[in-house]
Amino acid sequence: MSGFDFLQLSATIALGLLTLAFALTIIRIIRGPSLPDRVLALEMLVSTGIAYTAVLAIKTSFFLYLDVAISLGLVGFLATVAFARYVLQRGLQRKERESAIQAASSGKLKQ
Amino acid sequence: MSRVALAIVLAIIWAAITGNFSAPNLLLGGSVAILALLLIRKEFAPPVYLQKIKRSISLAGLFLYELALSAYRVSVLILSPNMKSKLKPGIIAFPLSVTSDVEITLLANLITLTPGTLSVDVSEDRKFLYVHALSVPNKKALIKEIADGFETKIIEVFK
Amino acid sequence: MIVEIAYYIGAILLLIGALFSVVAAIGILRLPDLYTRMHAASKTGTMGAGLTFVAIAVVAFDGPVILRALVGFIFLILTAPVGAHLLARAACLAGYKPSELTEINEYEESMK
Repeated sequence: MSGFDFLQLSATIALGLLTLAFALTIIRIIRGPSLPDRVLALEMLVSTGIAYTAVLAIKTSFFLYLDVAISLGLVGFLATVAFARYVLQRGLQRKERESAIQAASSGKLKQ
Repeated sequence: MSRVALAIVLAIIWAAITGNFSAPNLLLGGSVAILALLLIRKEFAPPVYLQKIKRSISLAGLFLYELALSAYRVSVLILSPNMKSKLKPGIIAFPLSVTSDVEITLLANLITLTPGTLSVDVSEDRKFLYVHALSVPNKKALIKEIADGFETKIIEVFK
Repeated sequence: MIVEIAYYIGAILLLIGALFSVVAAIGILRLPDLYTRMHAASKTGTMGAGLTFVAIAVVAFDGPVILRALVGFIFLILTAPVGAHLLARAACLAGYKPSELTEINEYEESMK
């Protein structure tokens, strides 16, 4: 197998793995339980998206995708900063306080 | 003087990102850099010496190495079947001996990238850095590890 | 010859990066609370995306593209800890408690 074929094959495998990572992260976004958990999962989703775009750049040899990946990183970082401020300003909601206590105690039970 | 150097560096970064090193593009990058520097309130770039550059590069090398190591250690922890018993998370106060903004920022960033630690906040009086760690079997050993590793390196670069 | 070697190195970097991304996603699912999950996202996740940038720099053979890939990589590893730190600080100050596995919490003690 030539180097180029191997590169193409591993790019395809990497795309598959990244799709799996997307799916797992989305489960965390759905489950929550709190807002910062979801923000964190969103950040993870962005970095998986960056990796996805970069792999596409290699697979298609169309390196303009690199610019897309870099700007996605910029937007993701700004989104995280903005969300962090929002989490700080909003504080804790009553429902979340209850579910946080529940989650913490269930974690202990499993252990 | 340092502003001029910074503007030149920013112009080169501009050219690198746009992927075009032609004269008009460098000029455009330079003008954007000057505009950005005018918007910043105070002088922050320290004078650059060769010795410092050398140490900064070694610091950058350490940064990359620690990032790779910490990513590997965290992955091993995540994939181990009895993860919960290995976890002993805790937030500890790390007494700071570096004082300036740049040094604290750098240390906080480096700590976030070391195996198993994540900086959370700096206390109001700048004496403590609060660090979240994945496993704290021994608080004093962890503090000593950070103080001997990164903090000494950072002090070397900036003093 | 050198091109072939570069392709193989790039391919391996891609696979390692993708594996790191998957591990980070598993970590986000498995770890018990927000602060421990942040470790997975900020280190392993960044490493996953960063390695794909390095892979581009290795296989591109084109000056501007290599430079852009490296700038992107540096940008990524500089912003990730800042983002994680901001989110951790905001969550701590807003009052989200770490899980009960947590043994010491000197931050909370300091705020009382």
